[in-house]
Amino acid sequence: MTTIKKSLSTRFGFFFAVMGPGVVTAFADNDAGGIATYAAAGAKYGYGLLFTVLISSICLAIAQEISARTGAVTGRGLSDLIRELFGVKWTFFAMTVLLIANIGTTASEFSGIATSFEIFGISKYISVPIMAFLVWWLVLKGNYSRIEKVFFMLCATFLSYIVSGLIINPPWGEVVLASVTPTFSGEGEFLMMAIGVIGTTITPWGQFYIQAAIVDKGITAKDYRYTFWDVMLGAFFTWLIAFFIIVATAATLHANHISIETVKDAAMALEPLAGKYASILFSFGLLGASMLAAFILPLSTAYAVCEAFGFESGVSKTSKEAPVFFSIYTALILLGAGIALWPGLSLYKVMLASQVVNGVLLPPILIFMVLIASNGLIMGKYANTTWYNIVSWTFTIVLIFLTLLLLLSAIAPSVLDFFIGR
Amino acid sequence: MNEFKILGEFFFSQLLGKPIYDKSGQKIGKIRDMAVCWDGSYPQIVGIKYARHTQELIAIEQIESCSYQEVRLREKFQREQTVSLEESHIYISKWLLDKQIIDLKGSKIVRVNDITLSWVTQMDHQRMILVAVDIGVRGLFRRLGLEFLFNSYKNNLLGWQYIKPLESWNSNLQLNHEKQQLSELHPADMADLIEDMDYKRRADFIDNLDDQQAIDALAEMDLESQVEIIEQMDEQRASDILEEMAPDEAADILVELTAEKSEGLLKLMEDDDAEEMRELMQYEEGTAGSLMTTEFIAFSARLTTEEVINQLRKLAPEAETIYYLYVIDQEEHLLGVLSLRELIVASPSAVLQDLMHTKLLTVKPKDDDQRVAEVINKYGLLAVPVVDEENVILGIVTVDDILDILIPERGKFDAYSWFALSKRGGRGR
Repeated sequence: MTTIKKSLSTRFGFFFAVMGPGVVTAFADNDAGGIATYAAAGAKYGYGLLFTVLISSICLAIAQEISARTGAVTGRGLSDLIRELFGVKWTFFAMTVLLIANIGTTASEFSGIATSFEIFGISKYISVPIMAFLVWWLVLKGNYSRIEKVFFMLCATFLSYIVSGLIINPPWGEVVLASVTPTFSGEGEFLMMAIGVIGTTITPWGQFYIQAAIVDKGITAKDYRYTFWDVMLGAFFTWLIAFFIIVATAATLHANHISIETVKDAAMALEPLAGKYASILFSFGLLGASMLAAFILPLSTAYAVCEAFGFESGVSKTSKEAPVFFSIYTALILLGAGIALWPGLSLYKVMLASQVVNGVLLPPILIFMVLIASNGLIMGKYANTTWYNIVSWTFTIVLIFLTLLLLLSAIAPSVLDFFIGR
Repeated sequence: MNEFKILGEFFFSQLLGKPIYDKSGQKIGKIRDMAVCWDGSYPQIVGIKYARHTQELIAIEQIESCSYQEVRLREKFQREQTVSLEESHIYISKWLLDKQIIDLKGSKIVRVNDITLSWVTQMDHQRMILVAVDIGVRGLFRRLGLEFLFNSYKNNLLGWQYIKPLESWNSNLQLNHEKQQLSELHPADMADLIEDMDYKRRADFIDNLDDQQAIDALAEMDLESQVEIIEQMDEQRASDILEEMAPDEAADILVELTAEKSEGLLKLMEDDDAEEMRELMQYEEGTAGSLMTTEFIAFSARLTTEEVINQLRKLAPEAETIYYLYVIDQEEHLLGVLSLRELIVASPSAVLQDLMHTKLLTVKPKDDDQRVAEVINKYGLLAVPVVDEENVILGIVTVDDILDILIPERGKFDAYSWFALSKRGGRGR
């Protein structure tokens, strides 16, 4: 037994050397909602959103860097710092935002799980309850960390989008040009897609999670320079996968005017690589990514909330010792699975909508983050520099502006038309 | 005559932001914070911070009345009458409210949701005293303005005697009674507290413990935390502590450090201690060799019980267990074993040779921990000797070293998880 454990750990040793919390978060970030959003963006607007992806990946790098640095310097989680700096009311607000966003995201993970099983003809009414229970049970009672490797390996199948994208061999000149040319439209659907792309790349939970992971792994300001590159590498991976999903779906679906009705259609973009096995490959990847995120999302949310309000937390506690922790954890899984199971609700729409919700709820969290990271009392010599603050504030304001535009386009399309002069 | 008369009790959160008027009815400012002096017999409020950019405080003696609506001063406000913040004073909104503190009563880390103050008079002398901190749900919702939802709940108050603020205040605030209370904590509770802290507070906290407390607490932690703490500690102190720890545990920690770091620590140790560690570090993780300690008690077969008991008095403090006494020859071959009970009940002149059991249960250094656990479990031993091919005794594995294998701790993520946040929930109780 011991020998097996040993050889496994050495084999994974290589990953350990490369993978810090930054890369790990990046992988967890490309979840069901992410795949759905990128695929939809590629199918609907072709290469049009490649620029948004590039910008949001750069912003991801900045946002994750801020969180990681704050975690390393202070040794504290984001919700902990929000509580100590802004008091109970703001903390309550931030936690409400986080909870709403994460209920949405958890629902999108369970939708992803349901979709991957539907490809094999298994109804969501069977797969979702079983997998929800499995997630709940494995984290609290079972051995979660073993099974995690399996789902992580499954996730790696999304790398096949890169291969597929290369095989398709799209007009690279046009692709590169589209990546660097700002494209914008005030049309409600385009706005929603753009916010969705931003919302799936940079998530509120991702910010809380990476900071907690840095603290958890005991990374300090001393080792921060390694973490910096780890975070950059993670953001690069996120961009790479998003880029190729859009390229692959744009070249296959958009070029042939096929719009995506369900997530399963996104598998079509893998056909150049896998032929008729494309949908199987896709479903494995989707299952891996969704399960991985379904494991850590409710858990990290419960930790964040308990940390903020000073409730007992920890998987090693009993539900009597840490009632709030267990209630939040369980409630998130139940709500997430419940929404995915809602009769008549399109799984695909759940995934897309949750990413938009994430995008809309991101700015408040960003504001807290930037305020904390520029606070010299807390961050000392590691506080944000002026130009860094300018970049972060610009991004936050742009995102708020986009969100307002989206709201406006939903409430009063004609007013919006007036503003952008159509 | 010496009696206290209570004029009012307040929740600090409800006083914050309330206006301050002087005798002439002029508004001076708002309650922005209060400074407390923690030095005396109980924490007393010394002054009120009334404006944003000033360290001058309105002295508490100036206050005529205090309510949730307003604060009134006795006289007309004059700047010259303010007092300045002294080094031993702390702001309670800035440094205590919303912060984490150690609850010495429940020996855990909790968060301050509110602070209760008592406005008392004693022989015509008025004081405001910090009575307790509120760590309950009701306090939390009071801050949100939703206390009415929790009116049926009792406030979860923690008396000031039982709190130890975690922020790195001036060292003169580290009162003696706090140190004493800390030393009365069980090492396992202390270990839990330390593991819950972030790395900066940890360093501060451990710096304030004496070596023995630090060793005891460290011994109760899991390997991952031990390694983290030793890594962050000052080298000289780290090596001192490792030297004093059980050698098997110290060796386990050293193995986990980088070669450079562990070599540096070994160099700072005394030669024979370092030598012993190096030997233990050779064994692979999860084998009897890595679990064993070299601090066992062994005697020559020719000694009498009386001689042994006399020697035992000297040896006992160092050894990990004294319940089993091993009998060896000149070349340290293991000949037999006897228990402490057998030694004590035997006549003083009896020779070990005649008392010892020669049918021995042993393990080899390469045996894995499962096998060691099986032997200990099956035969109900407190320790099992580790011998090499020539039957020379190398060390012993005691039952507490394999307890984790026999009874795994509940719900613990093993160290290989990439995604799960493990540490804060990492320890069993």
